[in-house]
Amino acid sequence: MSNQTELQIALTGVNKHYGAYHALKNIDLRIAKGSFVALVGPSGCGKSTLLRSMAGLETITSGDLVIAGERMNAVPPRKRDLAMVFQSYALYPHMTVEENLTYSLRIRGVKKAEAKKAAEEVAATTGLSGLMGRYPRELSGGQRQRVAMSRAIIRHPKAFLFDEPLSNLDAALRVHMRKEIRALHDRLGATSVYVTHDQIEAMTMADHVVVMRQGVIEQQGAPLDLYDRPVNRFVAGFIGSPAMNFVPAVAADDGRSIILPFGEGQHLPVNRPVPRGRSLIAGLRPEHLVIDPTGAGPIRLDVATVESTGSNSYIATASKPDIVLVTNGRSPVSVGSRISIGIAPEHVHLFDAGTEARIAVEG
Amino acid sequence: MKRIFSSLADGKGFDIALIVFPLAFLFVMAGLPLIYNVVMSFQEVDMFSLGTFARPFVGFKNYVTLFSQPETWPILKNTAIFVVASIAGQFIAGFALALFFWTNFPGASWLRGLFLVSWVMPGLVVGAIWNWILSGDFGVLNYLLTALGIIDGNIFWRSDPNFSLWAVIIANIWLGTSFNMILLSVGLSAIPKDLFEAAELDGANAFQRFWTITLPMMRSTIGAIISLGLIFTLQQFDLFAAITSGGPNNSSNVTQYWAWDLSFRQYDFAQGATISVVMIVFVMMASIVYVRSTRHEVRG
Repeated sequence: MSNQTELQIALTGVNKHYGAYHALKNIDLRIAKGSFVALVGPSGCGKSTLLRSMAGLETITSGDLVIAGERMNAVPPRKRDLAMVFQSYALYPHMTVEENLTYSLRIRGVKKAEAKKAAEEVAATTGLSGLMGRYPRELSGGQRQRVAMSRAIIRHPKAFLFDEPLSNLDAALRVHMRKEIRALHDRLGATSVYVTHDQIEAMTMADHVVVMRQGVIEQQGAPLDLYDRPVNRFVAGFIGSPAMNFVPAVAADDGRSIILPFGEGQHLPVNRPVPRGRSLIAGLRPEHLVIDPTGAGPIRLDVATVESTGSNSYIATASKPDIVLVTNGRSPVSVGSRISIGIAPEHVHLFDAGTEARIAVEG
Repeated sequence: MKRIFSSLADGKGFDIALIVFPLAFLFVMAGLPLIYNVVMSFQEVDMFSLGTFARPFVGFKNYVTLFSQPETWPILKNTAIFVVASIAGQFIAGFALALFFWTNFPGASWLRGLFLVSWVMPGLVVGAIWNWILSGDFGVLNYLLTALGIIDGNIFWRSDPNFSLWAVIIANIWLGTSFNMILLSVGLSAIPKDLFEAAELDGANAFQRFWTITLPMMRSTIGAIISLGLIFTLQQFDLFAAITSGGPNNSSNVTQYWAWDLSFRQYDFAQGATISVVMIVFVMMASIVYVRSTRHEVRG
């Protein structure tokens, strides 16, 4: 992110301890005004703790949290002017939709008629107009989700915090709401921080993806940067679906190819020099692997399973470790047949077998 | 015999048996005495006719007599004061304690459990303890109030007609507070935490959160506890027997104690039954509120 863009939320050296447990380790994160940032990682990685620390629901042990130029470490949540959409939605069950929407306004002493008008405006944009008199228990999951969103929108907060807001919806609705949330973000010119364990949500919605593991930010950047240049094996395996194949490999003597453990002569050319004999992990994305009908591909393996969704076929090989590759449409091969697989040299990711860090093109 | 076993095995009829036993028990042990009591209130009953059912019916004579007695209205008034003050005291103290323990400091649940000791103790024991505390000459309550400068001279709590009812009320509040606290604690912990977090982010301070989230979410619990309180308070007998015996001069007498006094000390069974029937009406109303409020649970 360039220096010219205005910072909305800035975390510097943030740590969070629960007793002996170190939940957040030296978090540095800059969130520009108007950006959509996704915090993504497996459960227990600290992404929710980080979000709740921004909201003030958790206090950070050390470091600095600055929101819109003000240091907020010790400011209570109600004075931070952030709106949060909870995974459970946290709608007030004893209030109607309208009362849920206007709650924050009524707390601030906004006049009744004015609050009602604001609620109607927001409801019109989120498709809740006909439901204002209903109680949360009378709504479907998707409608509750909209109420939770509307309750956040009505406040015009400094930033929206989303804590896995779509995980309670069914798959079809989730895909739809993904687009809707992003469209809403763009229309409001809002700043959004979005926690999810679903890397597809992160990749499709965010301008800036932050991958976390065990309280540490492993990598952050534009979604496709993470896809193209993952800094280590963890990020490489986490970003992309189906997940990247990892194959132990050794650098060949020619320094321009690697030897795969699938038997004699399975050399894979790479586009960077590698010191001979070095133990490596080769990362091969399923969508980059292609079946070579001439049989001249560098990898030759038997097919173990074929799964077809109609639009794609997932072919897994009978090898250790197995290799998954994706082809468009129907599978050109059948179970048990021997296939020849190729990959463009620039698509081969290489990681150090010990540190699991990326070996860059220049290296 | 075989059919009974097979019906147990395949579950047919077993569900009916499960209902029949408690219903039969309820009918024999609670229903019949209740009906018997109502019938007695319309009869002329004395020591000689006590052993038979064939007693002369007198219509509403017992009720007319009851409400023409000079002590009836003061005793009903005492009962109302006792019920309202006891419930208010128990509820407010119980809610305050429940909120206090809700903060979950180290040892909170352990200490909260300890509070229940007061509720498990027999009323007569509680009465004996409070007799000492309330004692006019050497009672610790008088000492405390004097030391705090609230009173000048000793109050004779149990024998002063102005204070005798309040002596029982104070003891009853102490007795019932922990029960209120436990039920209210359960109600508090049933409120999802994220509602408070959402309200906090929506700008509500602690006081606003209490009024707009805690209290409305506790509505059914509060309704249940107040109607249960009404039932328990109208049942409270031991404390009167132990502390004031309804005296002096009926100044601390209440209907439940009076019913017993009429029936088993003055052997006026008809009058005792009549005052009981009047109480049943009130307890029924409380029960309806209780059932309705527990049915009307608000849960997201």
